[in-house]
Amino acid sequence: MRKAIRTAPVLAAILATVALTACGNSSDDETEAVTGQLKALPGAPAADKTAAGKATLERVDGTTTISLDATGLEPNTDYVAHLHTGGCDQADPGGPHFQFNADGGAEPPNEIHLELRSRADGAASATASSNREVPAGEAGSVVIHEAGTEHATAGEASGAESVFVHAGHHHDEPAPPAKIACAELEGGHAHDSSHEEAASRGGEVPTVTIRNGEPVGGVAELEFSAGEEVRFEVASDVADEVHVHGYDLMEEVPAGGTVSFDFPAEIEGIFEVELEGRKEQIAELTVNP
Amino acid sequence: MTLLPFAHALAARQDLPIPAWLFAWGASIVLIVSFVALSIAWRKPRFEETRWRPLGAGLSRVLLSLPVQALCGSIGVLLLGVAVYAGLRGTEAPDRNFALTFLFVTCWLGFPVLSALLGDLFRPFNPWRAVGRVAGAGFRAIAGQPPAHLAYPERLGRWPAAIGLIAVVWLEIVYGTSGGVAVGLDPEAAAVAALIYSGYTLAMMAAFGVEKWCERGEVFSVYFGMFSQLGCFGTQDGELGLRRPLSAAARWATPYGSAAVVVASIATTTFDGASEGPLKGTIEAVFDWLSGAFAPDAALRLADTLLIAACVAAVGLVYMLGVRGMRTVHGAPSLAKLRVGFAHTLIPIALAYLVAHYFSLFVFQEQAQFTYLLSDPLGTGGTDLFGTVSSGVDYTILSANAIWYVQVGALVVGHVIGLTLAHDRALAYWPDYRDASRSQYWMLAVMVTFTCLGLYLLSYSNQ
Repeated sequence: MRKAIRTAPVLAAILATVALTACGNSSDDETEAVTGQLKALPGAPAADKTAAGKATLERVDGTTTISLDATGLEPNTDYVAHLHTGGCDQADPGGPHFQFNADGGAEPPNEIHLELRSRADGAASATASSNREVPAGEAGSVVIHEAGTEHATAGEASGAESVFVHAGHHHDEPAPPAKIACAELEGGHAHDSSHEEAASRGGEVPTVTIRNGEPVGGVAELEFSAGEEVRFEVASDVADEVHVHGYDLMEEVPAGGTVSFDFPAEIEGIFEVELEGRKEQIAELTVNP
Repeated sequence: MTLLPFAHALAARQDLPIPAWLFAWGASIVLIVSFVALSIAWRKPRFEETRWRPLGAGLSRVLLSLPVQALCGSIGVLLLGVAVYAGLRGTEAPDRNFALTFLFVTCWLGFPVLSALLGDLFRPFNPWRAVGRVAGAGFRAIAGQPPAHLAYPERLGRWPAAIGLIAVVWLEIVYGTSGGVAVGLDPEAAAVAALIYSGYTLAMMAAFGVEKWCERGEVFSVYFGMFSQLGCFGTQDGELGLRRPLSAAARWATPYGSAAVVVASIATTTFDGASEGPLKGTIEAVFDWLSGAFAPDAALRLADTLLIAACVAAVGLVYMLGVRGMRTVHGAPSLAKLRVGFAHTLIPIALAYLVAHYFSLFVFQEQAQFTYLLSDPLGTGGTDLFGTVSSGVDYTILSANAIWYVQVGALVVGHVIGLTLAHDRALAYWPDYRDASRSQYWMLAVMVTFTCLGLYLLSYSNQ
């Protein structure tokens, strides 16, 4: 009897430990998806002004897939869409095409293009994949153009951030084709020099991009270990103060400017980083022991 | 999709989830302890008698004297007044305003722990009781007779307090997080709520009598008083004394609705933990569903309200399943007797939940309470009463590991005390020792469920 009593808890403990540890270690998928809403651009032809829908960029195990679902286009018309490096709000929406290799060609597989034809109800969808992964933060937007006209953007940058839809109407004037709609993905911040500086230091410094006062791609997750240096940058299109809670650091950022943080990770826990004026959380800083 | 503002009212930091290995150890220890408890358990009830020992007439005469009571009551009224004034006139920033930290951290989280250790400390400082007693004395002086009270309907029992407890937490974490900002309840709303509650409490005291209402309906008296039953300090017949620890708890749950108070405490803490963890997706789904018909703020509050109600129902259901299970054991007393008779065994679990969930918040926020919030209660920079206005909160005093060990330790200790009380009560209810032990498989399942739920909430990570 006494022996049985002693064995029961030990067995229970072993079983529990095995079961619980197994649970603790499961689930780690390397899938990451970014979705943007498709909005008609000011320069779109009248028949395409109602364009709407969404674009999704998925990174799975080193590959990239972009899917586009559009509605409100002119029926039975051919369109093309490209992944761009910039955001939708800049003067030339989307900026240059995303290219994996800046010295490579302006065609797939060095760029990501989608071809689509609207149905009778004005809806269209398309998917394109690449066996390479678009680097984080470089998928700015997807832009839809008119098809059949050569799109004359030189893809000099190495970022992918918007999918545009441009459409193929017959116009007398030559290029450029009208950009019809744009879906913002990771926001097209201007590629400023701080990025290259960071790259040349060897360490990749994460950048939180703020567009219209909100973090592009949702609240950014920044993770560090205690004792490390916490380094990150905030590139914002609005003027505000960036407040790192807990560490209580406050830095002003001008509209269109970038502010860098660099401090030792000495407090463990999870901290909010917010735009103080707007009370908008832009990042979650995790410091593990 | 609208980004939902989720954050605790004052938290500048959140705890890291406990790592998987600690979760496994915590859960294993809980199971081992439970099985050992079943095998070595005692056969005669030990906590049904209080073994009262007075602390000495002199000490009682001083500490319970009228001037000391008047002083404590005045302090309570003064601090409530400062909090309300700061809430109405002070800064809107919740972390710089005395009101929120004092009401929701210092008192709401501090008194449960203090009461468990030192006895019912809230009673002398209770501002409404103090005002009510002064009003009663005034009435006697003028009218020449004590005020006549309505008979309190005993069927109501402690239900008003249970519902009030949910309302307080609702105000803090449901109403508070919905303002469209990530900082929670604004101090003015807290002050207005305190004024409304004061009016309601004084009216109830006038109707039913000060002491009666404190025993049954006054949320804070009932809630903090519940935790004071665990410790060894108490008063009896106007005298301070020592009793056997846990022994007072055995008698606490007699009035109707006492089980609801404990269940409400466990459920609301569960909701607060789960709303930023496993329930977050559900809340967002309900929010999306409701936002077609309601404005965003209303939809979020409604979603949170539905889920807080679901938490209360779920925790109550687990307890009722345990009670119904015990009823099936040979020789069991009636269902009503079981339901009342085992409610107190959940008090240690409720306290463990509070410690596990709010320990770090309390330690950090009390640094603010006793430095800049005390020197500048309004948070407007206008005063520096104690010269501590420029101090900040030192977040390095607790490492993540220290917090984890306190959290898991609290849950395990609460579990052990809960099991102890349940086993002891079973010995008192079942004439046969073996039947009593058998009935405790059911309470063991209830306790293991709550403790593992607590561990799960601590280990849940958003990533």
